[in-house]
Amino acid sequence: MKILVPCKRVPDPDQKLRLNAETVGIDPAALTYILNPFDAIAVEEALRIRETAHPDAEVIAVSIAPAEGEADLRTALAMGADRALLIEHNDPTDPWNVARLLAAVIEHEQPTLVLMGKQAVDDDANQTGQFLAAQLGWPQATFASQIEFIDDGIRVHRETDLGIEVIRTTLPAIVTADLRLNEPRYASLPSILRAKKKSIEQTTPAKLGVQLELRVRLIGMELINSQRHCEKVETASNLLAKLRETEVVG
Amino acid sequence: MSENKSDIIIIGGGVAGLSTAMQLARRGAAVTVLEREQIGNGSTGRAAGLLGQLRGTAEHTRMLMDGVEIVKELEAQAGVEIYVQTGSVRVAETPERAQELTDLIEMGRSINFDINEIPINELAERMPYMRTDDLTTACWCPTDGHLQPAELASAYHKVGRDHGVRYETNCPVTGMLLDGKKAHGVQTPKGEFHAPILVNAAGPWSHLVAGLTDTTLPTAALGHVYLTTQPHPDHPVDRLSPGFRNRHHRIYGRPENGGLLVGMYGEDCPEFDMNTLPPDFDMSAMKARRDDLHLAMLIHAAQQRFPWLNERTPMHVTTGIMTFTPDGLPFCGQLPDHEGLFYCTGFSGHGIVQSPAIGVIMSELILDGQSSYDIASIEADRYWEVPGFQDRAEIQQRCYEMQGSYYGRVEGKTAATQTDPKEASA
Repeated sequence: MKILVPCKRVPDPDQKLRLNAETVGIDPAALTYILNPFDAIAVEEALRIRETAHPDAEVIAVSIAPAEGEADLRTALAMGADRALLIEHNDPTDPWNVARLLAAVIEHEQPTLVLMGKQAVDDDANQTGQFLAAQLGWPQATFASQIEFIDDGIRVHRETDLGIEVIRTTLPAIVTADLRLNEPRYASLPSILRAKKKSIEQTTPAKLGVQLELRVRLIGMELINSQRHCEKVETASNLLAKLRETEVVG
Repeated sequence: MSENKSDIIIIGGGVAGLSTAMQLARRGAAVTVLEREQIGNGSTGRAAGLLGQLRGTAEHTRMLMDGVEIVKELEAQAGVEIYVQTGSVRVAETPERAQELTDLIEMGRSINFDINEIPINELAERMPYMRTDDLTTACWCPTDGHLQPAELASAYHKVGRDHGVRYETNCPVTGMLLDGKKAHGVQTPKGEFHAPILVNAAGPWSHLVAGLTDTTLPTAALGHVYLTTQPHPDHPVDRLSPGFRNRHHRIYGRPENGGLLVGMYGEDCPEFDMNTLPPDFDMSAMKARRDDLHLAMLIHAAQQRFPWLNERTPMHVTTGIMTFTPDGLPFCGQLPDHEGLFYCTGFSGHGIVQSPAIGVIMSELILDGQSSYDIASIEADRYWEVPGFQDRAEIQQRCYEMQGSYYGRVEGKTAATQTDPKEASA
């Protein structure tokens, strides 16, 4: 069986971000990028499936990114993925079009299972897995916290606001990973060295026959100002005056 | 008098600067600490916090022994518990490492440091989570321990504040105010700050601060990584388990929250050019990639001593930047090119443990013109105009090699003695 794991390259969310003065969005200068943490969980789950239920499974990592995105695919390979495919693309995209590109890859690769992060930590869209299932007409199990293989498919525990929902589905299917599905491994020394020797397959949206038609356009972005101003006031009436001044109370 | 005037300005709010500021203020000096970001958020905030008192030489060991006493005093003054006395072990699996331990025991005893050899079976009882069947020798230092660096920084900060130290955060130094050869203040985005004495305690940034006066400071910014496992169901690590050093595998560590902290001074390490990092670079946001090569080497080394630990062990990984010097010893004191400018930097991965005594030494150098300690080996000018230690690339290479030999070389009287800077240049 084949397990396809879409891997998004995202800016490390813990770093300080600056906005680009010329275009809308984050200034890419000096940004550190990482493999989307939810996708790392999906990679880990695919590896565990290969190590337990399906030793014959082939784990394929796919990324839509500029050429630098190879680094994040290399991470997936070092963790243990068998193959990696880069769909080289430099311009902005959106979840609907990412799903279309992935659908084109899926048509070619014919995986039994697509395992992906429930969302990316940069835009938090939480749409790609669902769009992909809709485009393919496949069943979907989102927010998975546990995946078991059963006779005719998989049983998935999904985390909802009301509790753990257990659903069964046939394969092929789309499963999106929640935070508690597993704790991803780090790459071992031999595995990093092996991954360095592997080649990363390359394609483009044009070669996949996909003409991107953006449905979402970024029209503005601003940083949240979290700076607080502290001032000591001596009496309660001074405090009240201050609060009135800053229109906290009327 | 201007509002931004004090007796002494400390550039850098890590443990070195904070300890120095506290000791100076205790002796009545008006001190201002200028920190580019937040207090204790650089190397200090990323440190593992081991307090091993035994170093390669008697004078350094004595300094670190006094340091532990200072930390205990600080606990009383700040009303907090900081120091966790767990004892520590050093283990050896080869004859030359065993000889190293024998020499260290002899040296330690000669200066009344509590140290003795510990039978391997006793070690196995104290550290059941550690592989011991391949060890030949181990030594035990019962007064060693560890602390949380943030707690130490905050104790220095608190006691310093009680003695009137002024702390300015988000206040990077952008220029040095000079009157000929005399430094008398700094420029910052918050305006000028004036003082007849300035102390460069800027850690990895200190050579950039030195660059503001066209001074060459032979330090380099090198990366470091350690891991902290979550508690392992089959291999619990009691909170009072000993710290350890295993130089053969180049690892050190200590207990942490039921798990194990392990770090490594490998042969290779990442190198950083502080000039190319963003001006608002935040060391506390650094993280290791899942395929970080140095982390993989650390896990591999740790696994040799703790066979249950591997790349799948749930763990937290801490990466940061250390300030190395060509001989692994700090720079404390003045350089010949400017008056009023002191250096307190280059702690080479041992800033936390050295900081208590260093604060005393710096305050003595600044207020008395000399120290009660023998500081010949840590004087700031020991590479001054020494060929081979002037060019950035050379300095970087020297410091990088020092890091690589940190756990590689063998310490003790039978080992080759510390390389003299003058000889090293030959």
